Amino acid sequence: SRIQQEKLLQQSSTLYVGNLSYYTTEEQIYELFSKCGDLKRVVMGLDKFKRTPCGFCFVEYVERLSAVNAVRYINGTRLDDRVVRTDWDAGFKEGRQFGRG
Amino acid sequence: KRRKVTESSEEIERRLESLICRVGEKSSSSLESNLEGLATVLEADLPNFKSQILQILVLCSYQLPEKCSIYTTLVGLLNVRNYNCGGEFVEMMLRELKRLISTNQFDYARYMVQFLSDLVNCNLVTPTSLISLYNIFISVTRQDSLQSRKDWYVYAVLSSLPWAGSALSEKHSVEVATLFDNIRKYIVRRDKSHQEFLRVWSTDDPHPQEEYLDCLFAQVCKLREDGWIEDVIIRPYRAFPVLANALQHDLPDFVVPPYIAEASLYPIPQVIFRMFDYTDCPEGPLIPGNHAIERWLIEEQLRNTVRHFKELIKKRRCADQTSSGFSWPREKRFPLNHNDFPVYPMVMYTAVFIELCKLQPSMIPQVLAIASDMLYERLDTMNITCTDRFVNWFSQHLSNFQFRWSWDDWSDCLSCDPASPKPKFIKEVLEKSMRLSYHKRICDAVPQDFAALVPVEPKIEFKYDFKLGPDHSQEERAAYNASQRVITAIKTKCKEDELIIMLEDIHQEESNIDGSTFSLPRLEVFLQSLLFLAQKSFSHSFSAIFKFHKVLKWAGDGEEGKVAILGITKDVWKNHPQMMGVLVDKMIRMQVVDCASVAKWIFSPNMADDFTRLYVWEIMHSTIRKMNKHVIKIEAELGEMRSKAQVSEKKSEDEEDDLMNTYNIFAPNQDDLQRMQDQLETANGEQKKLFLIIFQRFIMILSDHLVRCDAGHTNFNTPWYRNAIQRLQEIFLLHKDTVKKYMSTMENLLFTMDLDTRILSVFKQFLSVAN
Repeated sequence: SRIQQEKLLQQSSTLYVGNLSYYTTEEQIYELFSKCGDLKRVVMGLDKFKRTPCGFCFVEYVERLSAVNAVRYINGTRLDDRVVRTDWDAGFKEGRQFGRG
Repeated sequence: KRRKVTESSEEIERRLESLICRVGEKSSSSLESNLEGLATVLEADLPNFKSQILQILVLCSYQLPEKCSIYTTLVGLLNVRNYNCGGEFVEMMLRELKRLISTNQFDYARYMVQFLSDLVNCNLVTPTSLISLYNIFISVTRQDSLQSRKDWYVYAVLSSLPWAGSALSEKHSVEVATLFDNIRKYIVRRDKSHQEFLRVWSTDDPHPQEEYLDCLFAQVCKLREDGWIEDVIIRPYRAFPVLANALQHDLPDFVVPPYIAEASLYPIPQVIFRMFDYTDCPEGPLIPGNHAIERWLIEEQLRNTVRHFKELIKKRRCADQTSSGFSWPREKRFPLNHNDFPVYPMVMYTAVFIELCKLQPSMIPQVLAIASDMLYERLDTMNITCTDRFVNWFSQHLSNFQFRWSWDDWSDCLSCDPASPKPKFIKEVLEKSMRLSYHKRICDAVPQDFAALVPVEPKIEFKYDFKLGPDHSQEERAAYNASQRVITAIKTKCKEDELIIMLEDIHQEESNIDGSTFSLPRLEVFLQSLLFLAQKSFSHSFSAIFKFHKVLKWAGDGEEGKVAILGITKDVWKNHPQMMGVLVDKMIRMQVVDCASVAKWIFSPNMADDFTRLYVWEIMHSTIRKMNKHVIKIEAELGEMRSKAQVSEKKSEDEEDDLMNTYNIFAPNQDDLQRMQDQLETANGEQKKLFLIIFQRFIMILSDHLVRCDAGHTNFNTPWYRNAIQRLQEIFLLHKDTVKKYMSTMENLLFTMDLDTRILSVFKQFLSVAN
């Protein structure tokens, strides 16, 4: 439900990161987002059919404060010449890494 | 929709809060008329909402210090209309001041003293009672106590004098003179050995590196000599003649909160960061001199703006404030001062500068370029922690602007000693830039002759990546074949236990004396092959370690084995520092290695070539932080468990009903508590061991170097030495609150009197910072 969803978002330390170049790698994401704190994991978004990166990923931090800082200070800056967009995410679940391609 | 006729009291409170907080912001009418209007509104609401209104004003007094005199005027106007509320306000202020000091919120407390001082100008507080408060503060300097504690009280008085000095001197010049004498007596006898430790540049050329309290005292003395005239503080109360007839209050008596060991954390001293003076911007308004109070007032304003940026999150708005706040176009603070370290994440500054570049594209990029040039030119004498911050900011900034930079202007670094700061800086910048981009892009971004400074391509170095030939030794053949078998086994999805049996087979050696299952050749074959197979990405490597966790723990058993795991990983990924960083992080979290082994590895011969590289120290600090967080976590858990146990104890005494008895079954008992206590002791022991290893290894390598240089009659003060000694300082400074716990152990075991004074002095200087 919506209330549950909002509650999850309030406690989440996961971000959805969009508007990436298809060539941006997991390594680059690590480098940029580590500047706000230790990362638990990065899950690259993949094209459903070709299984290649398709411009988004999930970034999960060890601590929520790091994610808060990423929204403050990384959202809106550039990576691979593209403006990175971050959004709170309720938490990554297997299967969500596959985009529409 | 119909408008609601009556507001609930909550709505009124919210409206009042918003009205009060917004006064002084951009508005179509004048500040004076806004203040007048707001005072009228508040006066009308005072009968019903007095405590709320005063509460909000108290909060504003320290949380919005940039609007200090706007709020003092407002409170002054309220006092004229309602004398009692002025008295209550002052009482609330002093209670809050005490609370802030007792809870270590020293910046807020200082703003509050500033506010109380400015109230003299609105005729709300009597000058004599303010002077008494100052005297109470200064009397702390005559107590037998920590210097940092005395410093704070003196700093609080000095930083308030620009507001109140003029009013006090008018009628109480004798008392003011005594106050200055007493401050001077303290200033001249302070221990300043921390200055060496905290300065950004090791030279005073071109800008003196002044101790913060010395500097502010000089600035305030000069202000006094100049008749208290400055032109930065806005003084809205001057527009209200009505304030002249106000009735004043005496500040209530104030007792300075005592020092409580391990609970009171006073701010550490600072060295003033200076990068520009008036010669740097010949056109436009002049930058005030180092000892002009305007310099301090403007720096204070900038600090407030930056603080706001963090609290408001509204990036654009703060950047707006920052750029409009520049009365001196090229005066620009850089996020370098290493005292600011823990307060804001480095990326915040990067974000502010990027935003500023967007807002003022004709000015800010140029300012940043000039500033970067200056910093580059002064790298030889710059503190290593500051250089790191410069590297991190500059590379991330470049990545936001297509890596465009006039590199040729910096080509002087190509003819320097490669171990010296300038070429090392460029190397680190390019390495960090590459991590945010990719190898080819960085190669293309710099001129051809910079090639030697471009990092190598981050590729794997697999030890058995060769075709067996006749000239390979017996050992090499064995290792090669073993590696092939491991690779095939992993590819065919063998189980962990099967792999262990196979590896036991590969290297049948006599068992170790301590019963450990570690054998270097075996570990090397396994780990090299595993990392080789998983080389494709971070995720692949993490999964590999996760999947063969048991094998890795078995093959790299014991202290020696853990250090070997790190060494082998480094051999494989020596061209990929970022990979090293993330793998070490994962291996600690998965308990394949521990923090102490990471420290041993960093000081081992395996890392000697990389010892002065930035990534190594990033790994070191992140390891220490993980250790510290672990201790804090267990402390918190133990605290929680204790309070739960107490609750159950109390209840079982008070009542004897079933509910409580059943609760007690689940409440933590003595065994649980003991177990947790043991865990905490273990963690504390590990933390202590980690710091002792780090400092002991530092002492070893530094002593080694000094002995070698002295014996060979060569200059000990090499780039390597400067780097190492500053890294030692950095460990002290960045983890000062934890290090403090172990000071006496270190003094007895490591930093003893027979140690070379060049090393011992670092410890002595830190004592001066920490006390």
